[in-house]
Amino acid sequence: MKPDATTQTSAPGPAVRALARFGRGSELVLDHAGALGTLAWQVVVSTVRLRVPRRELLRQIYIMGIESLPIVFVTGALAGIVTSQQGGYQMTGAIPLYVLGSLVVETVVLEMGPVLTAIVLVGRIGARITAELGTMKVSEQIDAYHSLGRDPVSLLATPRVLAGVIALPVLVGFADIVGILAGMVAARLDVGLGYESFLYGARLFWHSYDLVYSLLKALVFGLAIPLISIHMGLRTKGGAEGVGRTTTDAVMFMTLTILILDAIFPPLLLN
Amino acid sequence: MIEYRHVYKAFDRPVLSGVDLRVETGEMFALFGPSGTGKSVLLKTTIDLITPDAGDVCIDGESVYHGPPGALARARRQVGYVFQNAALFDSMNVFDNVSMGIPEEVLAKEDRLTTARKVWGALELVNLEPREVLGKTPAELSGGMKKRVGIARAIVGRPRILLWDEPTTGLDPVNTAAVERLIARLSRELETTSLVVTHDIEGGLEMCDRVAMLDGGHLRFCGTPEAFRASADPMVQAFVDRAAAERALDLAELETI
Repeated sequence: MKPDATTQTSAPGPAVRALARFGRGSELVLDHAGALGTLAWQVVVSTVRLRVPRRELLRQIYIMGIESLPIVFVTGALAGIVTSQQGGYQMTGAIPLYVLGSLVVETVVLEMGPVLTAIVLVGRIGARITAELGTMKVSEQIDAYHSLGRDPVSLLATPRVLAGVIALPVLVGFADIVGILAGMVAARLDVGLGYESFLYGARLFWHSYDLVYSLLKALVFGLAIPLISIHMGLRTKGGAEGVGRTTTDAVMFMTLTILILDAIFPPLLLN
Repeated sequence: MIEYRHVYKAFDRPVLSGVDLRVETGEMFALFGPSGTGKSVLLKTTIDLITPDAGDVCIDGESVYHGPPGALARARRQVGYVFQNAALFDSMNVFDNVSMGIPEEVLAKEDRLTTARKVWGALELVNLEPREVLGKTPAELSGGMKKRVGIARAIVGRPRILLWDEPTTGLDPVNTAAVERLIARLSRELETTSLVVTHDIEGGLEMCDRVAMLDGGHLRFCGTPEAFRASADPMVQAFVDRAAAERALDLAELETI
């Protein structure tokens, strides 16, 4: 007997399921992109209209900048030391040892300084912002701002984004300096390269643009970290568990974004 | 006057399925219903804390959602919202929390002394000693005190409408009775229109002019407390009986204190 076509429904095939998954994924990406774009626009508008609470801005600069200095110093120093040690190991051969100066300086300034500082701030600042705003969201504090006719973007988001844009280039500048100095000391202790030879090698391949590139990267990372963490925090649902879940997602999101942006920079700005 | 017109809202499932409700000016109105029936959702649609999928809310005849530009901001200025768990700003002390209830444009014009007087007055109205609490952060306050600070923040801007989202939830019988007396007194003294979402049926029936019951996204009952008590609807009766039993328990508990 032939099956009744009106009552039988066939399960979707693997291709349809894959297409559905792709559709859902695309929808999620577009949803995040749209919300992030809107948030960025609102931050720009409140900045242009000078609707930024100065006290909160200074507090955020202090939290993101001053309080992050110790960990940034440690990270920068270790980045310089490791680069110097590995470079020294590879150069024990035909390449003149003073090239190690250039290798350390260029690696720290172009890559390690901005990226490692950003990754450290994802954990220290990004996670904190997401958890803070997520808690405010689930405890109805964000609703309370709305009910009182206040704009949470002006009061909460803009100071954090501006603080990130201001603090991160400064922190990266410090990370670069500390990384180079630590690399220089490590080169002397590890492979016996004198300070003058190290600096000679460093100057040999140095372009002033490298510093601009490093700080430009820091500026973009300084914008991305607070923007994503605020965006994720304001989407939090479902109590304490939701805050934990969103914070984890935000850290993943920010780390991936930093690495993707890092991969986009060289073809755009180093060619 | 607050008017809800065919308000629809769905999350994973429909929560409000075309609710029509009218709260008259100066009226104290209580909204009852089982958990998850959309009482708080309806309250939040009043000032767009949750946007309805369809329908409209009008405040004194002006549409919040389809009105002229600035209608929502005007609505929010007229409304004081008391949140279920107070929703005080963690990073601010009591003074800053309460002063946030004063509209921004008023705050910008007045001097700090005038603001301080208003905050002081609001805290006294909710039976808190301003000297003791002004400098404290929410973490340093008890549950009952947090509720009172939340109420002070809602009334300091002298709104014409007060929305109360389960104001007695999580409080012991003594504090519940105190907060209920406070709601009734404030609504009378400030001459506000009040809409109270509550699980405390007896309290709501005692202090409100009219009550309504939401069930399954629809308004199941709307009328006076007397009509509510006398209703033949089995669900309404179940609520009345349960409320009487809970009140008896509360009274017994109060006597032991």
